[in-house]
Amino acid sequence: MKGALSSLFAPDRVAVVGASGEAGSVGRAILENLQADFAGDVLAVNPNRETVLGTACHDAVSDIEAPVDLAVVVVPPEVAVDAVRDAGEAGVDAVVVITAGFGEAGAEGATRERELREAAATHDIALVGPNSLGVMSTPVGLNATFGPRMADAGSVSFMSQSGAFVTAVLDWAADRELGFKDVVSLGNKAVLDEGDFAAAWGEDPDTDVIMGYLEDVGDGRAFVETAREVTAETPIVAVKSGRTQAGASAAASHTGALAGSERAYEAGLDGAGVIRADSVQSLFDAARILDGQPLPDGEGVAIVTNAGGPGVMATDAVGDSDLSLADFADDTVAELRDALPDGANLYNPVDVIGDAPAERFEAALEAALADDAVAAAVVVACPTAVLDFEALAEVVVDVHEDTGLPIATSLMGGGGTAAAEATLSAAGVPTYFDPARAVESVDVLREYAAIREREYEAPTTFDVDRERARSILARTARRDSNRLGVEAMDLLDAYGIPTPDGEIVESPDAAAGAADAIGDEVVMKIVSPDILHKSDVGGVEVGVDPADARDTYESLITRARNYQSDATIVGVQVQEQVDTAAGVETILGSNRDPQFGPLLLFGLGGVFVEVFEDTAVRVAPASEPEARAMLDDLDSAPLLRGARGRPRVDEDAVVEAIQRLSQLVTDFPAIAELDVNPLLATPDGVTALDLRLTVEQEALEE
Amino acid sequence: MNTLLVTATEDGIGKTAIALALARHAQDRGQTVAYMKPKGTRLRSATGKTRDEDPMLARELLDLDAGIHEMEPVVYSPTFVQDALRGREDAAGLRDRVTDCFEDLSADADLVVVEGSGSQTTGSIVDLTDRDVADLLDARALLVGEYATGTDVDPLLAAAEEYGERLAGVLFNGVRDAAFDELQEDAVPFLRGRGVPVLGALPRDPALSGGSVGDLVEELGAEVLTSESVSTDAHVERIAVGAMSADSALDQFRRTREAVLIAGGDRPEIHAAALEAAGIEALLLTGGMRPPSAVLGRAEEAGVPVLAVQSDTRTTIDRVEAALGSGQTRTAATVDRIADLLAERADLDALLD
Repeated sequence: MKGALSSLFAPDRVAVVGASGEAGSVGRAILENLQADFAGDVLAVNPNRETVLGTACHDAVSDIEAPVDLAVVVVPPEVAVDAVRDAGEAGVDAVVVITAGFGEAGAEGATRERELREAAATHDIALVGPNSLGVMSTPVGLNATFGPRMADAGSVSFMSQSGAFVTAVLDWAADRELGFKDVVSLGNKAVLDEGDFAAAWGEDPDTDVIMGYLEDVGDGRAFVETAREVTAETPIVAVKSGRTQAGASAAASHTGALAGSERAYEAGLDGAGVIRADSVQSLFDAARILDGQPLPDGEGVAIVTNAGGPGVMATDAVGDSDLSLADFADDTVAELRDALPDGANLYNPVDVIGDAPAERFEAALEAALADDAVAAAVVVACPTAVLDFEALAEVVVDVHEDTGLPIATSLMGGGGTAAAEATLSAAGVPTYFDPARAVESVDVLREYAAIREREYEAPTTFDVDRERARSILARTARRDSNRLGVEAMDLLDAYGIPTPDGEIVESPDAAAGAADAIGDEVVMKIVSPDILHKSDVGGVEVGVDPADARDTYESLITRARNYQSDATIVGVQVQEQVDTAAGVETILGSNRDPQFGPLLLFGLGGVFVEVFEDTAVRVAPASEPEARAMLDDLDSAPLLRGARGRPRVDEDAVVEAIQRLSQLVTDFPAIAELDVNPLLATPDGVTALDLRLTVEQEALEE
Repeated sequence: MNTLLVTATEDGIGKTAIALALARHAQDRGQTVAYMKPKGTRLRSATGKTRDEDPMLARELLDLDAGIHEMEPVVYSPTFVQDALRGREDAAGLRDRVTDCFEDLSADADLVVVEGSGSQTTGSIVDLTDRDVADLLDARALLVGEYATGTDVDPLLAAAEEYGERLAGVLFNGVRDAAFDELQEDAVPFLRGRGVPVLGALPRDPALSGGSVGDLVEELGAEVLTSESVSTDAHVERIAVGAMSADSALDQFRRTREAVLIAGGDRPEIHAAALEAAGIEALLLTGGMRPPSAVLGRAEEAGVPVLAVQSDTRTTIDRVEAALGSGQTRTAATVDRIADLLAERADLDALLD
């Protein structure tokens, strides 16, 4: 680790600003925690005291002669910013602000937080908090928190947006042989945020796994960029709270930030290579196995059990995961036949039957792991009269060490398994009661192995007419509404997404002229930013003969007026009729997420999106492989590929349309949302038939 | 002397601003101007006496010394209306009062701008409609109307025909861009064909509807929860109501602009979404509930004012709609803008010479 973050986690000299001897005070708790184990010097700053807990007090950090690497600020909020400025002037690189009463505390606090940020920028300080529990680093015995306990040493580094969660986790982890390298309570993230720590730990040889508890991600796009680099070497597992409506409300009340949509996080964190846990338990399960076990080089898993029922449960769990039950080679089956008694199941899942001692597990496990199709093993054991769990734990550890392959275990017993669990944990082999959890943890290894193999391609840049697009978007500046509809189809044209021939007309004569020019049956649609569901109000006529265009114009306008007399009516669109039966109607859209920026959404039209919510979502910009993967993500993808007698559509054209839209919404952050619905996909290409978007004019002017 | 009655087909389409802007133009031409609003209808209780706000604004903007009681001889209050219905008001006496005041005000004036009140029927119960006032004061009438669709021509033509020879002409106000072509191509030629002079058409200027967040604070008696460094100058003219799920809230808020969000104080996820949407200029929280302090911190950071009122959401919506909708936020700036539009788009000579 380099730079200011090494001052943060590996300081030589730490000053506690606001050190106190008063029982129950935060200033005392931090000083005591630091004095307990820290390898370096601990200095106390308090202008009102001579000494605190036997340490001489300085009036200010700037009064300390030797250079201070880290200042921990616990003074009241009114003077906290001054304390940080003083530390900055004294040349301190890293500051942790424990003090609360900033942005989380209302209007006055927000102003204070801005001042804090400015002070940090002026003096180039790496600042944690404010409103933080503090930081820890086990190699140097640094506990600069006011929490009740120090973390056990290990190689997991942990960041949390909740201080309380830190103390809970350390307490819990201590009983489970999970050790930490660095721990940081992020607080309000005024300066350093999740991306900064991910980047620093990604370069830290002593951090094997990065674990996070997040409520929001400040700059999602930057986090994605950072995390993609980090996760090529170091796994990141994170739990993101605020997934539900009630959870989002609770998170907003905690941080004041919009939690962001669930699908944005899913797309953003997945795109970043972050392994997402949906509960604290699965967060720890993932961190532990990533910390303790090597990565499998395939998806095949062998299950070895002494009990039929639990073996079936483990097999079901494999079915639910992205692992597969390995298909043993003939040699493996032969070897198992030699090692196991009659009545044993020689095929996967291997049942060594109820009278098996630990040695039989060992033989079966060795045989299974020797098979090329087997990348990992799950051992499921129930208590029997002949099975000694401790002996089983030892053979599992031996096999794991001999083969170097990942193993997870399920010991389905109560207190009797404690000693065996300790043996396994010490060797980094996770053990659970529930066989499904053992399988899920192996699935995490597979997931991370796949993430490491990812190659992120740069998005394709197409030759587009950006200025033309800008002038189309700018049209909303001159109107009451910031929404555009089919009248903005040229926007798609400017970015090379095919649109049918057509034009917007403002009179019956012009309608007739436009229809004659097309020379065949046309589609006519009312164009009004105030009428969103055109077809519901009779605002769309298909198959109009050019001879009838004049009358159709009148009736469309009349219907729109009847529906909403004060609607702004831009005109009527006369469009070449496209044979929708010749293809598949898809939806291509974008929605700008506050944290991750523009998201791309693709799905099949009609019930597939609206009822089944079968959509693929990515964070823009999407590269060609990402755009292609969006098709694969859909459950309804076979319908694009000729299922049930449908035409097989031009997939390359769909992929290109996704990429071109990705470029459009990336170029123009002012597009708050955009829907091409439908985008008709046919064997010969794609055509955008309708368009709706919302433009944030202020953003366009920037 | 030129006596000009500014009357309208219905209330709330800009009579006051047009009347005052015309008076200003006359002053600019060196004329001595008087102002009168015979029936006071926009009532506000000032220093214990119920008075119309418009004459007060006129006095201030036109720098007039006349007493409010002369500029507004009849206070058309609910009490007055009740008395009239019970036969306690004498129509002849009222007419005398109006003409007496008019004579005093007009003594040295080149132009008397007489502002009408309400719609064409207001004042019927005491024989003092705008039409009656025109005869009483021997005034020419400028008829202000709106135009959104062809059906708006009906009330306009009916009113114009009522005034007959007294009609100076028709002026359209607040015409949206989308309706302008139809107005020019169809409605104006039609009216001219029926002998109704059209003196101009003023486009709708978004800056002239709605009001500032500060105006709302005043109208509603709201408490401002953000600090003074967060400006309340932003202009708002629409309402967004926060009664949806958090997921769709942001989408919906982004589709609006120059809007004030009205939501319960207990929906922090809605508040947070509103703070992300550029078109939401202020948060108005109902039910007397304060938002979480973290939300206030974010609002402060985003520079978006947060207001709180005790009333429930339903009542608050009605109050804000009333405040924004009826253009109760007429100010000097509004009159300036209308004066500019009149100079560009209306036949001032026909009215002021």
